[in-house]
Amino acid sequence: MPKEQNGRAELEPLIRAIATDVHFWIPLLVLLAGLVLLHELR
Amino acid sequence: MDAITVAAVGSPMQAGRLRRLQALGVFCGVAAGAWLGGAEAPIKMVNSDVSPITISLIMVFGVFLARWSVPALLRGTSHVRHDVRQAPHLVIWAVLAGCMWAVANTLTIYAIRNVGLSIAFPLWNTNSLLGIFWGFLLFNELHYAGWKRWVGVLGGATGMFSGAALLALASSNQAAPGKAMLGVVAALGAGILWGTMYIPYRKAYLTGMNPLSFVTFFTAGELVTMTALAVGYRGAGPLWRELMSARALLFWLMLGGFVWVIGDLFQQYAAKYVGISRGIPLSNTNQLWGLLWGILVFHELEGGSHRIYAEVIGGSILTALGAVAIALSSATEREHSSWQDAAEREGQRYGIEGGYVRAGMEGREYEAGPSRRTWVDWVLIVGASGVFVVLAGVARVPRMEIHLGWAAAVTAAMLALLVSCGTVLWRTTRFK
Repeated sequence: MPKEQNGRAELEPLIRAIATDVHFWIPLLVLLAGLVLLHELR
Repeated sequence: MDAITVAAVGSPMQAGRLRRLQALGVFCGVAAGAWLGGAEAPIKMVNSDVSPITISLIMVFGVFLARWSVPALLRGTSHVRHDVRQAPHLVIWAVLAGCMWAVANTLTIYAIRNVGLSIAFPLWNTNSLLGIFWGFLLFNELHYAGWKRWVGVLGGATGMFSGAALLALASSNQAAPGKAMLGVVAALGAGILWGTMYIPYRKAYLTGMNPLSFVTFFTAGELVTMTALAVGYRGAGPLWRELMSARALLFWLMLGGFVWVIGDLFQQYAAKYVGISRGIPLSNTNQLWGLLWGILVFHELEGGSHRIYAEVIGGSILTALGAVAIALSSATEREHSSWQDAAEREGQRYGIEGGYVRAGMEGREYEAGPSRRTWVDWVLIVGASGVFVVLAGVARVPRMEIHLGWAAAVTAAMLALLVSCGTVLWRTTRFK
C-alpha cells in the first residue's frame, strides 16, 4: 500500500475515536461557551 | 490483594511503588502551590499602565519560552517525539487545554475589573471542586475510596474554598463597581473552564504521556489563542506600540511566566500521580504563597485593621488544614485499580500499547528511547536563555519598597522545594 494511503488508513480510526469520545466534546463545548461569554463581556 | 494491586492493563503494581508515587504526587502538589504563587511576585513589580490583556500575553510568551526550553533541558525533545508516536491523539487534548487556559485567564481580567479580587478569586477557585467532579465521573477517581477519603477530599476542598474566600477578602482593597453580575459570570466561567481543562490533563496522564511532552503542545494552543485574543481586542498596531513602550517591563512579566511554568510542571506531575481530585486542590495553595509575598515582601496590608489580620490568619489556617486533609486522603490500592480500569479503557479506544500505558502509570521508562540531547535542544535552551538575558539588559527595576531579606527567605524556601521535589521526582520517575 502506498505511504499516503497507509497514513490515511491510520488516521481515519483515530479521527473516529476522537469524534466519538465524550472527553473531547465536553472541553470543546466549554471552550466555545467561554469564547461566547468573552465576546459578550467586551 | 494486600501486597499488590492487580493492574488491569497488565501485570500487578507493587503496593510500595504505589505509596511512593502517591507521596510524590502530594509533594508535587505542595511544590506547585509555592511556585504558582511565587509567579505573582515579578508581576507585582509592574505598574498598572499596561493593559491586562497585554500583561497576560507577555506572560504567555515567557511561558512559551520556558515550556520549550525546560523540557529540552531536563530530558531532551526526542522524548516528546517518542511520546507523540505512542499517543498522537493527545496532542489535540493538549492544544485544547492550552486554548481553555488562555480564555479562562482573560475572563479573570474581566472578573477582577467588575467585581474585584475578593469576590472573583473564590468564584474561579471552584475549579478544584469541578476537577473532583470530572475526576469521579470520567476517570474513576474516588471510586472505592471509602467515606473517610471522600470526607478528606471534599472537606479539604471546601475548607480551602472557604479559606480562599477569607484570604481574597482580606487581600482586596477594591470596592466592587457596577456590572457585578457580569463579573460574577466571568469568574464562574473562568472556574468552569479551568476545572474542565483538567479533563485533558487527566486523560493524557492516565494514558501514559509525560507531563513534559504534554506542556509542550499545551503552550502552543495557549500562545495562539492568547495572541488572537490580544490582537482581536487591542488591534495589531496599538498592541505592538504598547509592547514597545513596555519593553522595560517585559523581563519581569516573562519571568513571572517562567516561574509559573515551574509551578505548572509540578501541578502536572501532581495530577498524574494523585489524580485531579487531589492534585488540583493541593496546588491551589498558591494563594497562600501569593499572600506571603504580598505581606512580607511588598508590605501589603500594612496598617490594616484587626479584622483584616483575623481574616488572613483564619483564611490561611483553613487553606492549610484543607490541604493537609487532602494530602492525607491519597488513593487506596482498590481505588488505584479502578484508575487502571479507566487507563485500560483509554488504551483500547486509541490502540495504545498496554506496556506504554502501564509504564506511564508507574512512572517508569517505556522502551529506553534516545537519552542524549540533540542540537535542537541546545538551540532551544540557548535561544530562550538569550531572550531572557537581552530583556534583562533593558529591564528597569521599578521604584518600590521591597523587603529584600524576606524576598531572599521566601525565594530560598521555593528553591528548597524545587530542589527537594525535583530530586525525589528524578529518583522515583526520571521525570516520567
